[in-house]
Amino acid sequence: MKTKQLFLNALLVLAVMFAFTSPAFAGNVYKLGLSLAITGPTSDAGNPYSKGVEDYFKFANETGILGADKIDCTIRDDQYKTDITKRNFEDYLDQGIVLYLNYSTGSTLGLKKDFEEEEIAVIPASFHRGNLDGSNYIFLPVASYSEQVISMGEYVANNHKGETPKVALFLHPSAFGRGPLADTQAAVKAGLKIDIVEVVEHGKDLDNTAMLKRLMSKGVQYVISQTIQSPVATMLKDAQRLGLTSKTFGEKGKLTFLGAHYTGGNDLIALAGAATEGYHWICSYNLTSEKTEGTTKQLALAKKYGRDAKAANSHNYANGIMVAQVATEAIRRAKAAGLKVNKENLYKMLNGMNGAKAYHPYTTVGPVTYSKTDRAGVDMLQIYSVQNGTFKKVGSPMQSVYMKKIK
Amino acid sequence: MSVNTWLATGNFNTTYKQEQKTFFTSLDRSVFTFFLLILFIWPLIFPLSNKYMLVIDNVLIAIVAVMGLNLVTGFAGLISIGHAAFVGIGAYTVASFCRTIGDTHVIITHFWPVMIILSGLVGAAFGGLIGLPALRLKHLYLAIATLSFQMIFQWVINFMSFFNQGQTISVGRVFWFTGKIGRKDHYLFWYFIILTVVVLLGFGIRNLLKTRYGRCLVAVRDNDRAADAMGMNPGLTKVYAFALAGFFAGVAGALHAYLYRGVGFESFTLHESIGYLAMAIVGGLGTLNGSFWGPVAIKYLDLGVENLSEILGHYTPGMNLATALKPFTFGLVIVLFLMFEPRGIANWWRIIKSYTKLWPFRY
Repeated sequence: MKTKQLFLNALLVLAVMFAFTSPAFAGNVYKLGLSLAITGPTSDAGNPYSKGVEDYFKFANETGILGADKIDCTIRDDQYKTDITKRNFEDYLDQGIVLYLNYSTGSTLGLKKDFEEEEIAVIPASFHRGNLDGSNYIFLPVASYSEQVISMGEYVANNHKGETPKVALFLHPSAFGRGPLADTQAAVKAGLKIDIVEVVEHGKDLDNTAMLKRLMSKGVQYVISQTIQSPVATMLKDAQRLGLTSKTFGEKGKLTFLGAHYTGGNDLIALAGAATEGYHWICSYNLTSEKTEGTTKQLALAKKYGRDAKAANSHNYANGIMVAQVATEAIRRAKAAGLKVNKENLYKMLNGMNGAKAYHPYTTVGPVTYSKTDRAGVDMLQIYSVQNGTFKKVGSPMQSVYMKKIK
Repeated sequence: MSVNTWLATGNFNTTYKQEQKTFFTSLDRSVFTFFLLILFIWPLIFPLSNKYMLVIDNVLIAIVAVMGLNLVTGFAGLISIGHAAFVGIGAYTVASFCRTIGDTHVIITHFWPVMIILSGLVGAAFGGLIGLPALRLKHLYLAIATLSFQMIFQWVINFMSFFNQGQTISVGRVFWFTGKIGRKDHYLFWYFIILTVVVLLGFGIRNLLKTRYGRCLVAVRDNDRAADAMGMNPGLTKVYAFALAGFFAGVAGALHAYLYRGVGFESFTLHESIGYLAMAIVGGLGTLNGSFWGPVAIKYLDLGVENLSEILGHYTPGMNLATALKPFTFGLVIVLFLMFEPRGIANWWRIIKSYTKLWPFRY
């Protein structure tokens, strides 16, 4: 009898101990999925991007942004291959995700029909305008590549002295690179005062001497790039070696280089060194080289989760944080409105992010504004240029005039 | 003939026809039928998630493609390193129709078996055309010719706006007697279709090899001059070997297009061609069952390395291990097979089979 009593007491003690030591988690868990290139091509951008997403969701869960509820975002490497992205997406759907985060242009275009069928909101890392054609569920985080290239064209037209400036476009040989071409040509037709003299689709050239000489012989003064960092770095180094890089913006007889989001950042400086001096870069993100409240928070987040300086200062880390911020905010708003957090309501919340309800993430130079007719998030763009080895702001954030005209 | 048709020991064949049988004993036939039955039934009993069904379907498509490659490279001895381009021809045949008549047109969605056969025929036409240099070229030179085809294919797809410059061209969902195949059943439906194609084409090759046309392939591989002297037509044999390989590849391409519901350039690059060649080598060149083993081994190796990289990535956060690990293991496996088992996994299968036949007696 005594033994039985002892056993029961021991059980009771264990039960009480277990009740106090086990996590007292009573909230909901919202499943999200991210598929991106952590390895393979473009992983230099994908790696910090994934860290940004991971860190912000951790932060949101730890600080209780969603109260007792948590976000569980599975992050998988797709090696920049659409078939692996498809496999990851199918897996996430089986897990019951409420929002999906994608990465590349190719896979976003490839899975567009699936997104439509599943009626799930998707935020990719690709800013290709073609993602939005025939799609209702893809939300670009920031202004499209087209808008970025046209904005640079406008910047050239506004700051060039003399006759209509001659411009060459330096594009990645893919939809990602080619996307802005037709839009830029349409903007020129609509009155944008630049003359597109040549469109170069770069290969894997290790030397651009011939191309640069050809551009010079055609009187080109500005080269606008829509590609990734490594081909731009090669071109900048060759231009410097040949003495073709302008010292000031639009210097006559020289080339002034400009580029869109994925051409720039600290990695470009690391690749091309001093040859990047004077390089103009357009981007919707705050950079840590220009201290603001947002960049301080970004660096603090990176420090909190033990990220190295390279990741912490990367604009792609900021990009990842921003996407996670938007997703978290959509969930928070759905909860605040007393709605169930599901695919339908998150889609509604994203579409409602405009006017007074626009969302201001700390990582960007402007607010996120989505609606049923505008699914490019941050419309503001900031031009930066390399000065003494770091990117510095040039003027205030701008918004493309011609993009609205050609839409 | 042996009295016992279930466990025949020794060679009792008295005619050539008897030697051509697909199954030598009733046991062989029963085991094969049972295995086939299991292949068709298991997904209904143990349903897998879409993710894994997609992987399995992908392996089956690779089997169709590698069967074709094995015909031209394994049986006919004509090296082809542009096989992914032939698969691409099949996929882009479906994609071309989608671009022209729309991806939800009844021809795409209802007459998909016709589309698959048509893609195979287009693949065969291109195969025959690319096979023409084989009349004049051999070995490394022929390899370069097929490589050129791969390059031309990539260039055309990547730059022609009709092919969406290599970006995905959508393919609509297909219909079956029960109606439209939705996402829930999509991968399971295509599992049954692709498996049926694999079985039909597998038997097709098995039977082809028993005919004079099949024996011509092997004869030309072993010595084309001797084959010529024996009254065979080596030129025609080489061209139809390429055409047959093109047919298999074209069918695989169409299946790929329907399975992924889209056709994109990146699935048909030189890298994929090398992959098919690796599957054929690892499986066993010049064997039918090698065409099954190779894709299974390479695709699951890929998946295994992917999972391993993910696990290792947690312990080595600063290193980009997966980028190095995948090509490293892929290359290592091919080199090891070439060095230690050039006859591929098919040879292990042969050893196991002969062991079980003799068991429990050694001789």
